[in-house]
Amino acid sequence: MNWRAFQAIQKVTELGPRFLSYVDEGEGDPVILMHGIPTWGFLFRDLIESLTAKRRVLAPDLLGFGFSDKRDCFDRSIGRQTEALIAWMDKLRLDRADIVGHDIGGGIALRLAALHPARVGRLCVMNGVSYDAWPIELMLQFGHPENRRKMSAGEASTMLKRALKSGFAVAPEDEFLDGLLAPYGTETGKTSLIRNAAALNTNLTTEITHLLPQISAPTLILWGQEDSFQLAKFGKRLASDIPGAKFVPIEKAKHFVMIDQHEIVARELQAFLYI
Amino acid sequence: MLKHSSLKPISEQEAKGEIDRVYHEIMQTMRVTGVNLNFRTWASWENFLPLMWDAMRPIVGTLAFEQAGDEVRKRTVSEVRALPTVSAFHSAGLGESQAFQVHAALRLYHYINPKLLVFTSAVRLALMGHAVSHALEPSEPIVLGPPDGMFPMEMVEEGEEEKRIKAIFEDIASTLSLATINSDYRTLALWPEYLDQAWRALKPITQTVEYNSAADRIRELARDFAQRLPAPAGLTSAAVKDTGENVDQILKTTSNFERILPPLILNIAILTGECETDYSRLVSPFPAELRKPLFSGGGR
Repeated sequence: MNWRAFQAIQKVTELGPRFLSYVDEGEGDPVILMHGIPTWGFLFRDLIESLTAKRRVLAPDLLGFGFSDKRDCFDRSIGRQTEALIAWMDKLRLDRADIVGHDIGGGIALRLAALHPARVGRLCVMNGVSYDAWPIELMLQFGHPENRRKMSAGEASTMLKRALKSGFAVAPEDEFLDGLLAPYGTETGKTSLIRNAAALNTNLTTEITHLLPQISAPTLILWGQEDSFQLAKFGKRLASDIPGAKFVPIEKAKHFVMIDQHEIVARELQAFLYI
Repeated sequence: MLKHSSLKPISEQEAKGEIDRVYHEIMQTMRVTGVNLNFRTWASWENFLPLMWDAMRPIVGTLAFEQAGDEVRKRTVSEVRALPTVSAFHSAGLGESQAFQVHAALRLYHYINPKLLVFTSAVRLALMGHAVSHALEPSEPIVLGPPDGMFPMEMVEEGEEEKRIKAIFEDIASTLSLATINSDYRTLALWPEYLDQAWRALKPITQTVEYNSAADRIRELARDFAQRLPAPAGLTSAAVKDTGENVDQILKTTSNFERILPPLILNIAILTGECETDYSRLVSPFPAELRKPLFSGGGR
């Protein structure tokens, strides 16, 4: 499925004046997949297919990302994203769901589990942001407000594509990479992504560090061992802080672990989610 | 082929100094999420845009101006009742989120284009030295800023078009005699299948006498409202000449915008018909509120 076909299966929910696009496939108990920066739900294209046999899989585009609202007028911090996610779950009448988060989606997943434990069934963090391990230098620089004026949308896409490639053990096909960046190829998309980068705030994970030992959801920490964006040591630290959490290092995988080792990740998740 | 204009519109990203300042004020005062092609083109005369905008700004941020746009929109909707309807949503196979976003984009342009036409007519009249006739009462200020929930003015960038979008743009340009593709079509190009289907349906309609007569009537109505707005202080051809800019060229471009906007307004109203009731199309998608005085008085 190319990105346009993926976009065509997205549904939409209005959250006050904002809107959030998401994929909702399969039937069964819900599992929510949350992407990070600078991607969107399309990142989980193959994983969704691997999980829908027995589960209802939802993959939202976070506010300001993908084909969700990209207007330049709201807070995109993971604190706000967590609240938006709860509002979205309420709209969909999802009292509780299993949560899988990658990159900043991992940070949101941790906040959900720590601050809203009743909403989380099982928790999986894949190369997610945590503690003071983020934002990475690249995103700190990208989030500078002046970049909106300095960089055209085309230049930003070229730069991001180069940077994204370093997050894979083996670079995927151009078509997939271009698809990951497609929503950001316009001036609006570029500005939105810059604002998203500007909203990355380490305090929003450091402030929940003391709550990690209180997380009660069964937890799986999957980590691409060769990730240079989010180092594996932080994954191990999470596993030691969250009671009963299982740490699964994935060899020959970098930041985008679900692409680098799709079959292993799918198998681990299926086992964890009882599929 | 697109007849490339010698003028190079200034994008929001390229805007610096005074142009950047004016672009910000345009979005706040016109209550819109982006800067339309008119303004980006006027910005290519860097001394003209600030002069013109500073003269127009006090008029734009008023209820009278907003209502003039509302009346042009209402007339447009009543005109399109006599024109064929289109069915592009279904034939484009849009998904739920895509359909939501196309609708939101149509609402954006259904709101802003009539205002843009009144604005353009007012600028043209001022440059031609027309006196104000039967002026409207001094009007109250409205709450400024793009309304919550308005779609961003996102569009496919020039030079970044896919092959099939380029082909549609060329057909639009040659059919409607456009030198540059308007923001509206660039926004709808975010959903190429939709733009394709929409344009296929619209194209034959745009060739009819009824359509062109309707466009003429909309233009006349906008001129009438523009003529009754307060005159923009300081916006005269002599003042523009003093800045060193070419008045004739500016007037020609402004007249051209006044020519191409009514068909664009009609097209958006026709397309909006597929996702809105007749009544909801008639009323402003983003009604303006009057600005409350900072101090209500009566205190001790």
